[in-house]
Amino acid sequence: MRPLVRWALMAVAAAALVTFPYWSAPWESTRFATTLLRDALILAIFALSLDLLVGRAGMPSLGHAAFFGAGGYAAGIASQRLATDQLPVTLGAAAVAAALLALVIGVLVVRSEGIFFLMLTLALAQIVFAIAFQWTAVTGGSNGLSGVGRPMLATLDFSSPDLMYVLVAIAFVLAMLTVWGLARSPYGRALTGVRENERRMRALGYDTARLRLSAFVLAGTIAGIAGALSAYSTRFVSAQDAGLGNSIRAFVTVLVGGAGSLGGPIAGSALVSLIERVVPSLLPVELRISEAILGLVFIAFVLFGRQGMVGLGRDAWLRLRAR
Amino acid sequence: MIEIRELRRSFGGVVALDGVSLKISEGERRALIGPNGAGKTTLIDILAGEIPPTGGAVLLSGRDITGLRSWQRARLGLAHVYQRTELFSPLSARENVALAVAARRGPYRVFRAPPRSEYAEADAMLERVGLAGREAIVVRALSHGERRQLELAVALAQGPRVLLLDEPTAGMSPVETARITELIAGLDRALTILIVEHDMDVVFRLADRVTVLHEGRVIADGTAADVRGDVRVHDVYLGKAVTVA
Repeated sequence: MRPLVRWALMAVAAAALVTFPYWSAPWESTRFATTLLRDALILAIFALSLDLLVGRAGMPSLGHAAFFGAGGYAAGIASQRLATDQLPVTLGAAAVAAALLALVIGVLVVRSEGIFFLMLTLALAQIVFAIAFQWTAVTGGSNGLSGVGRPMLATLDFSSPDLMYVLVAIAFVLAMLTVWGLARSPYGRALTGVRENERRMRALGYDTARLRLSAFVLAGTIAGIAGALSAYSTRFVSAQDAGLGNSIRAFVTVLVGGAGSLGGPIAGSALVSLIERVVPSLLPVELRISEAILGLVFIAFVLFGRQGMVGLGRDAWLRLRAR
Repeated sequence: MIEIRELRRSFGGVVALDGVSLKISEGERRALIGPNGAGKTTLIDILAGEIPPTGGAVLLSGRDITGLRSWQRARLGLAHVYQRTELFSPLSARENVALAVAARRGPYRVFRAPPRSEYAEADAMLERVGLAGREAIVVRALSHGERRQLELAVALAQGPRVLLLDEPTAGMSPVETARITELIAGLDRALTILIVEHDMDVVFRLADRVTVLHEGRVIADGTAADVRGDVRVHDVYLGKAVTVA
């Protein structure tokens, strides 16, 4: 009975999340919370995908924004060139483009580990950023790609802010279910094995390079979908979406929330979104530097809470129960 | 079963293996002894595919496996128990063994929790090595002796044809050593075993044949009885007084 109750609670929570714009309308006339939550959920999908690498498989990538950017560009370019706003086409293009890019970069990086993996992903993602920034004819270069259309599913038009939010929230729930389903499966357990002792995994007969590559492509694909959702939402793709700043943002989100858990990247994206969008407005004008605040928060977690928000929460819970 | 031809390996200018050839037949239990630095662990690591040889060849059932990676060799039935414990430290004993059990079915199974049969098989293996009741304990919380037992359980759970044991009793108490020795002695006779061991009691209890390695070369090779008679001649190489029962 208890798992059933838990499932029911989760379903209610998911439904409440997806329908947020409708029940919040009476007290939320400016749609600020809806927009904030939408962007936080996009960041959460992005961070969940990065955590497959950082937290589960032990692959600290500093180039994950390359796939986020690739997804955004692919969705935008596909919709403009093919003159369609159909979701399966544009989102499909985003997923395929991000997966292919992740396959190419993945083949080059999966055999390296630790700091070398970090530097290689960083360098290759910078190349992707440079291409996005320079290839004006396709990407719009430094001007970015503007006028990205909101998607349509057959005749259902997601152009209203509320429906756009609903689309993002559904994608978030699906991404969460996907990551949860991967983490609990033999596949997720094998990734943990690779993280903890790759040499022993090889000795057990696992082709660990292929395992790492599969995780890299999977994470890249989900990041690409997050990038497409971002492009739909803001109707714009910037080269910065594929840049180092965005990679670091995802990385900080994962670490602040807690790597290797389902709740960590989600909690992290909530905190990062608040720091980026809400905290500055509470401060005097000259202190409204969200990057600096985020940096300080990150340093605080590195010094005092390596396990992130989820870890701090777990510790507090255990201490409370021990009393 | 295993044939090693003129195996060479040097690390920089240091020659670890200087043309080692030996044959181990199916179901044989071979001990590899020799002083520290004789090249025993290097030989095991090359057999397992952990490090490549500088020269020579390794054959498994007549097939040249010199160029195969360690995971490919594992799939051909080679299991390796390392000299230093190589486990998955935040995972439970059960999860450690289950990873070995699951290796045969492959890792590309998603969305469903690992089948109970894998854990049941893992638990059975843990009971066999004397870790019954310790299934849920994470590796970090296990004693050194228990970790060595777990190492053996993980290797056996691979369902190997060849077991490479690099000092399985290292650092164990006499009681633990005796238990592990009896466990290995009781394994399926079809299993081919190559064991590196310093404890001569263990060697003579387990080995059908003994190969003595010194400075990267085979200096003696024979039945346990032959080498036992020969040991006095070689105790200079063994570097310690050997008690012959």
